[in-house]
Amino acid sequence: MSASSKRLTGSVLPEVDAGDFAEEKARLEETKRAVFNILEDSAREKERLEETHRALLNILEDSAEEKAMAEATQRAMLNLLEDFDVERSKAEAANRELRASFESLRLANEATEAANREIEAFSYSVSHDLRTPLRGVAGFSQLLLADYSEKLDDEGQDYLRRIAAAAERMGGLIDDLLKLARLSRAAMERGRVNLTAIVEKILERLRLAHSDRTVETIVAPGVTVFGDERLLTIVLENLLENAWKFTQNREAATIEFGAKPGSEEIACFVRDNGAGFDMTYAGKLFQPFQRLHKLDEFPGTGIGLATVKRIIERHGGRVWIEGAMDHGTTAHFAIPRSTEEEK
Amino acid sequence: MKSKLILLVEDNPDDVKLTLKAFERSRLANEVEVASDGVEAIDFLFGTGKHASRDLSIMPELVLLDLKMPRMDGLEVLRRIRSDERTKMLPVVVLTSSLEDKDRVESYRLGTNSYVRKPVDFHQFVDAVLQLGLYWMVLNETA
Ligand SMILES: Nc1ncnc2c1ncn2[C@@H]1O[C@H](COP(=O)(O)OP(=O)(O)OP(=O)(O)O)[C@@H](O)[C@H]1O
Ligand SMILES: [Mg+2]
Repeated sequence: MSASSKRLTGSVLPEVDAGDFAEEKARLEETKRAVFNILEDSAREKERLEETHRALLNILEDSAEEKAMAEATQRAMLNLLEDFDVERSKAEAANRELRASFESLRLANEATEAANREIEAFSYSVSHDLRTPLRGVAGFSQLLLADYSEKLDDEGQDYLRRIAAAAERMGGLIDDLLKLARLSRAAMERGRVNLTAIVEKILERLRLAHSDRTVETIVAPGVTVFGDERLLTIVLENLLENAWKFTQNREAATIEFGAKPGSEEIACFVRDNGAGFDMTYAGKLFQPFQRLHKLDEFPGTGIGLATVKRIIERHGGRVWIEGAMDHGTTAHFAIPRSTEEEK
Repeated sequence: MKSKLILLVEDNPDDVKLTLKAFERSRLANEVEVASDGVEAIDFLFGTGKHASRDLSIMPELVLLDLKMPRMDGLEVLRRIRSDERTKMLPVVVLTSSLEDKDRVESYRLGTNSYVRKPVDFHQFVDAVLQLGLYWMVLNETA
């Protein structure tokens, strides 16, 4: 076949012979198959796309749920934050209050310290400055008595003796007052204190110092409290010395130390069968220098029970005393059970 | 026993008189130099001030020292005595009215040899001075 031959026939239509057409048809068929294939593929593609789409929708749906949940969570969180805010402002208010009370505590502490310093300075001055002139009074009246007694008659000598004795007594009062003041400022060192052991020791000392007396003593075993040993020793010394002193006229003197442990406190007592006292004045006895007995019969300053009270109160406890004229006395003190002692 | 010099540092004239009387009674016939405050005591010990012309070869055997005094107090005197080679070993007895623990503690910390509280009672005072004198003037002699 040649182009010149086609031109030669002069026809407008392409010359198509049967052989050519069949070829064309096969090519078309092929193309059609190919298109079909493509279409088929695309349908599958479409299905897949739809599936994806469904999947996406599902995901989106899930995510919407997710979102709702997230929103709920967020709302809850916001609520919490809001609550938190309220709490926080409450806490801040409490803090402010705490700070304010700390501040006033600090001020109070400062004031107490200042007062303590003042008391210290005062008692130093009392101790030194009051005793000095007193020593002059006592000393020179004693020197007068010693060196010039022949120049004085009995009455003159008696006066001098009284001056010396009064000065002496005043010296004792000053010392006792100072000791009491010191007790109030001494730092407490708390621990387990065996009162029974202390009582035994004091009674032993009293027996040695007064070997002329026979005193029956009853001491409860194993009484312990939580407190300051040195201070509690002073308490027991004062109570036992009183019991010892006020039984001095008894043929058969008895002194007893006992205790009743309770759930809140341990109540202790020192009992004697001595002179006793009129209960009308029981309350006064814990004040400094208050005495119910005559000095020449039962000597003393009257600072003992005041000291006892001061010490027991520093332990958070209480004191009281019972007695009857000529029928003995029981002095009580109770010390709270401390939570500290469980440590 | 030969007479020995005691330096009494005391500002109160009644206490000076009573202390001298107590020494007299205790029959420890000693010579007593009185300094009426801390400054005078230091002047005497180191030959300064009003004692500038003093013979420093004569030193007291014992210093009795009051604590509360005008100008220079006893604790300061004690501190100076202990920090000078010439007086470091000098026996010092603090003799005071004070019953304050901190005075006692501070006196010992600064190196006093004893600490005696002046009793109000004169006889007790004589006793105290007697014992002090005996201890520091007699017993120390053999040491
Ligand atoms: N066991 C007792 N029997 C009788 N009276 C007592 C007893 N204990 C105290 N009193 C009375 O209480 C007063 C005050 O007692 P307190 O111990 O305070 O002083 P004091 O014993 O007289 O002197 P001080 O204890 O200072 O040497 C006593 O003077 C006495 O009248
Ligand atoms: Mg008493």
